[in-house]
Amino acid sequence: MNIPLLIVGLAALGAAVFAPRFGLLALGRRFRANRRRIQTEDALKHLHACAWRGQAATLQSLAGALHLTLAGAVRLVGALEAQGLLRVAEDGLHLTLDGEQIAVAVVRAHRLWERYLVDEARMPLADVHYEAERREHSRDVESLGALDAALGYPATDPHGDPIPTARGQIERVESRPLTDWPLDTPARIVHLEDEPAALFAQIAAEGLRPGQTLRVLESAPQRLTLSDGRKTFALAPLVAANIFVAPEPVTGTPTARRLTGLKQGERAVVRALDAGLQGFTRRRLLDLGLTPGVPVTAELPSLFGDPMAYRVRGTLIALRREQADQILISDEV
Amino acid sequence: MTTQPAPTGADALLARAEALRQALPENFRDQLVQSLYAEAEGVARRAVHPAGERRRDWDGLLDRLVTSPIFGLPIMLLILAVVFWLTITGANVPSALIADALFWFEDQAAALFTALGAPWWLTGFVWHGVWRGLAWVVSVMLPPMAIFFPCFTFLEDLGYLPRVAFNLDWLFKKAGAHGKQSLTMTMGFGCNAAGIIATRVIDSPRERLIAILTNNFVPCNGRFPTLIMLATVFVAASFPPALASVAAAGSVVMVVLVGVLFTLAVSALLSRTLLRGEASAFSLELPPFRRPNLKQILYTSLIDRTIFVLWRAIQTAAPAGAAIWLLGNIVVGDQSLAWHVADFLNPLGLAIGLDGVILLAYIIAIPANEIVVPTMLMVYLGVGMMTDTPGFTELRALLIGQHGWTMLTAVNLMLFSLLHNPCATTIMTMWKETRSLKWTTLGALGPLAIAFAVCFLTASLARLLGWA
Repeated sequence: MNIPLLIVGLAALGAAVFAPRFGLLALGRRFRANRRRIQTEDALKHLHACAWRGQAATLQSLAGALHLTLAGAVRLVGALEAQGLLRVAEDGLHLTLDGEQIAVAVVRAHRLWERYLVDEARMPLADVHYEAERREHSRDVESLGALDAALGYPATDPHGDPIPTARGQIERVESRPLTDWPLDTPARIVHLEDEPAALFAQIAAEGLRPGQTLRVLESAPQRLTLSDGRKTFALAPLVAANIFVAPEPVTGTPTARRLTGLKQGERAVVRALDAGLQGFTRRRLLDLGLTPGVPVTAELPSLFGDPMAYRVRGTLIALRREQADQILISDEV
Repeated sequence: MTTQPAPTGADALLARAEALRQALPENFRDQLVQSLYAEAEGVARRAVHPAGERRRDWDGLLDRLVTSPIFGLPIMLLILAVVFWLTITGANVPSALIADALFWFEDQAAALFTALGAPWWLTGFVWHGVWRGLAWVVSVMLPPMAIFFPCFTFLEDLGYLPRVAFNLDWLFKKAGAHGKQSLTMTMGFGCNAAGIIATRVIDSPRERLIAILTNNFVPCNGRFPTLIMLATVFVAASFPPALASVAAAGSVVMVVLVGVLFTLAVSALLSRTLLRGEASAFSLELPPFRRPNLKQILYTSLIDRTIFVLWRAIQTAAPAGAAIWLLGNIVVGDQSLAWHVADFLNPLGLAIGLDGVILLAYIIAIPANEIVVPTMLMVYLGVGMMTDTPGFTELRALLIGQHGWTMLTAVNLMLFSLLHNPCATTIMTMWKETRSLKWTTLGALGPLAIAFAVCFLTASLARLLGWA
């Protein structure tokens, strides 16, 4: 046996395990610390969500939300209480000021990322929640501020929830579930509940978005019939209960015609862009000169009619049916 | 809100900015753009005076013609065919001239080395290896690119290319991709690396990535010689002489169409799996038709595209030339290293309807696809350097008579050439454009897996039906 070789080998092994920053032990420690931090943040977020909805957070609800055993939840609550992040009271678990601050920061990161994923990365709405859950934990204040600025300080996330400001303020919008809404009264979608995911996927598949205006045409125990003026939707009450609406502020937009309704050779004036259209696509359409008040002419259909090229400000611009459908028009005045 | 001590300085400003921001109406950005446009309109009205409507009418007529349901597609295919024809026939003579000149130089330089008493392996490695690799790539690649890219830029400047994207958008929309992908594909006929750079015109990152990953499925200039050779030797030979050239051209067009089919299918697959997402915003400006500026065309196509692509190819062709020479000249036991590797690869090659030599040629040709055929011929003929295509009769005798090629080999080689992994230059470009190891790996290995799967399928099917 070669003694020096053995010593070198042992030293290398020891270094691999005990090295201060990249050794296995250090990595393991960091990994555990990170997992603990994520768990802490998820717990605080749950408490914050309960408080926001006016419900009491309990050990049971915490265990359910974080997929813990009850004993695990007890241990977690004990640790958080010792850190001064929450306090246990008769009526449930409450955030302390410190805990609230962290929770709001996580919520802010989550919602900003959702906004980014929908508007700029243009991920389908049904997929962004999961991705944002992952990204919300790796955040530093500066890059989040930069993200906020780059997105243009959005007020709400793509589900309609308010995004806390950097100072931690959250503006509350009063809303009611669609199931409580009176018939034939215009309602604006202000919030879509994104959990449970299966129900949300149904809402997203119907193409319902915050900012859209709806009317309830018919309310039966099995289904709600809704209309946005062009299309009717039939939803189970279970699904509709996850759609929160507020009264539609009376705006000057008359019965909306869409650019898609314009036949070849016809002329109209752009009224507005659909409120549900945000971020990159909206900017692009505005940059192309599709601003309110501009005249458009449907000029040239492509081989199969879609896309269609429109004359705007002297330029020919081709739009797919989906984009043209987001542009509200009215007859020339 | 709780009352806080009045903040000072920057804090106060920030707080005020935040308060003001909340007071802004929801659509203030729309209003901002609107006011910018109003201002610009005012300036334009004072400065620009339209000279009349005549030109617009002519434009409109042309537009209706090239996008018409009857003439739109035929016109597009006709233009594409003319560009191909110009490139292929126009490149023959200059290619031969450049090759003659560079190989003449090789002979002189090698002779000089020998006269100076350099050992044979040094002369061989430098001149018959590295230099020959470079010379081959330059002579095969430069003339077609110098013809194809100006043609392409001409169509671009004319304003025709956006109409192509406009016409084909419905196809790409079905695949969850962007209509402008058709432009990057057309560019890919010249060079896949250039096609990948051209994907910058697609502004949605998801759709741009799809365009990058699938660009490889349009055969580039470097692969056309292989396709044309196969079409001539195998397909054309089974037709009467009068129809031979039409049959050859037809089969090349078929291969191109198969490539387009694969582009669309893989795009659709990607946009339903790894790159899930809705076919997103499509907006495309159709500029008025313009008289192209010739100086501009020559500059853009020669400096920006041709030289750029050629330089990258040269960087990768020199080491490939060296590797080929070494494989052909290092003799282990009773045969060259090249044959050892080919023998080793032979079972795999046969399973997908090819053979070991072809696979070896494709491995060596990773840096540049131009050298596939010369490398194959070098190994088949047992000479120590890449070799020019002999006459087609000798070629038939060599491939069919001595090395057992069949129609299946030809068809599968065409398919493999169309679908296999992109060349090193293209892979490098993928990396530069995505900066992602994951996507670059997928872009390199995905097509390879598809090529193996498709060739295996056709080979098995042909054997099952007793055709081969």
